[in-house]
Amino acid sequence: MLLASLSRWTMSYFAAALAFLIAAEVLAVAGLGYPAAGLTEPATLILVHLVAIGWLSLAMAGALLQFVPVLVSRPLAFPHLALPALAALVAGLFLLCSGFAVLAGWFDGPLDLLPLAAATLLIGFALLGLMLLATLLSARPVGLFSRFILIGLACLAATALSGSAFAAILSGRGGWLDALSLLPDGLPFHALLGFGGWLGLIAFGTSYRLLVMFMLAPDPAPHRVRTVLVSAGLALGLGFSGLVAPLAGLQPGGAFITTALSVLALASAFYGRDILALYRTRRRKALEINMLASIPAFASLGLGIALLPVAIAAGAGEGIVAALAFLLAFGWLGGLTLAQLVKIVSFMTWLGTYASRLGRGPAPRVGDLVAMPRTGWWFLFYYAGVALGVTMLAGGFATGFRWAMLSCLVGTAGIVTELVRVRLLSEIRVGDRPPVHERPRLLLARADERSSSHADHRRVASPRA
Amino acid sequence: MSANLERLVEIALRDVLDPEMGRSVVDLGLIYAITAMPGGAIAITMTTTTRGCPLTGFLKEAVAMAAGAVEGVTGVVVALTYEPAWQPGMIAAE
Repeated sequence: MLLASLSRWTMSYFAAALAFLIAAEVLAVAGLGYPAAGLTEPATLILVHLVAIGWLSLAMAGALLQFVPVLVSRPLAFPHLALPALAALVAGLFLLCSGFAVLAGWFDGPLDLLPLAAATLLIGFALLGLMLLATLLSARPVGLFSRFILIGLACLAATALSGSAFAAILSGRGGWLDALSLLPDGLPFHALLGFGGWLGLIAFGTSYRLLVMFMLAPDPAPHRVRTVLVSAGLALGLGFSGLVAPLAGLQPGGAFITTALSVLALASAFYGRDILALYRTRRRKALEINMLASIPAFASLGLGIALLPVAIAAGAGEGIVAALAFLLAFGWLGGLTLAQLVKIVSFMTWLGTYASRLGRGPAPRVGDLVAMPRTGWWFLFYYAGVALGVTMLAGGFATGFRWAMLSCLVGTAGIVTELVRVRLLSEIRVGDRPPVHERPRLLLARADERSSSHADHRRVASPRA
Repeated sequence: MSANLERLVEIALRDVLDPEMGRSVVDLGLIYAITAMPGGAIAITMTTTTRGCPLTGFLKEAVAMAAGAVEGVTGVVVALTYEPAWQPGMIAAE
């Protein structure tokens, strides 16, 4: 039987992702971007893309490099592309932020930075997509959960390509694109496909599998999962139609995005019902920190996606829409990612350190690597900041929002510290730690943890036997 | 004699603990069958909680080693199966 692989660069993806999250939070605390600047002003665009690409996309990419091989029981395809993809994504994001800074007039540089950034990011996402696509399609028939990821990758392609078109237009090199009203009309659809499709839908699909494993819950009924997939797929299809409508000379209008969001809210309701059932039917009664800290994330999804279409349809002010978008990005996607990072990092660390000792004597449990209840307190800081941030954005209090982001920053910094301590085995008594040469490296899997170029088929990451 | 050996092997497998739960592979219901052959050879049929499980290789090895250490066991073969698929209901009550 083939088993999945221990992804060598996943820790590096996570480290880069967390660094970008902290950078975004520091900038927000400093007052950069919305609400001090307009929603579509360059300063806000820098923050949005630091979060969307730097934080959430890199964390998702790192997790998928680890999880997709487990999902399909096949080794990762083209594993050598993981590092070039990471390098391209990081470089592309720096170029993009530089391009936005030029657009803002912060320094005198060529606007061609924007299409250059787009090309670099496209290369990075294409390399990532190639690895994941080839791995997913190496297992036939394509499973239900793999389809979530496939649709999510299609959304990523649409998001990256539309973002590239925007970059070309903003740099004045859009050519024929200038004549179309891709900007600003396409922006909501670009955001919907990125946050709702690439990040959101894949979070749906992967969380089904991960929650079953983490909580020892029975698998959800396939027809219920399929309902989520079909309804979310329909919403994202509408989003894609709205994005490309200008190419056919059509103007989708506000009702179109409201409809797409409403269908996505329906899909989220079906998803939420399933998640609730998983929590209720779990055999593992004591919830670990990753599952506890995911609860506010699921609540954020429920609240945010239910209210967003209503707010847009009712013509609510910019502040309300921004507050709900913030809730979905930081509460739902950010909160879930941070929570699950604690589990993924601790399990991968255990695997690289103690798996070979299984049955050969005493070894700590995976949960012993995490400092509790301290880690829980950091999540409290983070979510308190999210809740306060939503309130401040809705009320239009710029200074209050900065204080809220400070709370998020403190929480994030604390969680990052705990993750580093997990890698350093800090919670394990000194005498019980393995010799230095057998300890995990901070940012990548040791070479001897992998038998082939990328993977040891006996050593992989998923949290349960 | 063979039933006794099977029982001893099962007891030995209670020392193979799942790193997440801290419970043994026996308590988790991962051991489907332990069969002792004449001469002391042991055949074990086991599963994992999910296909593609990360620990499969290590678990098989640990199970084989624990069984092989039982006095009277002359050889161990561990077979992996997913029929029937493992269900949380297979976990023994605490």
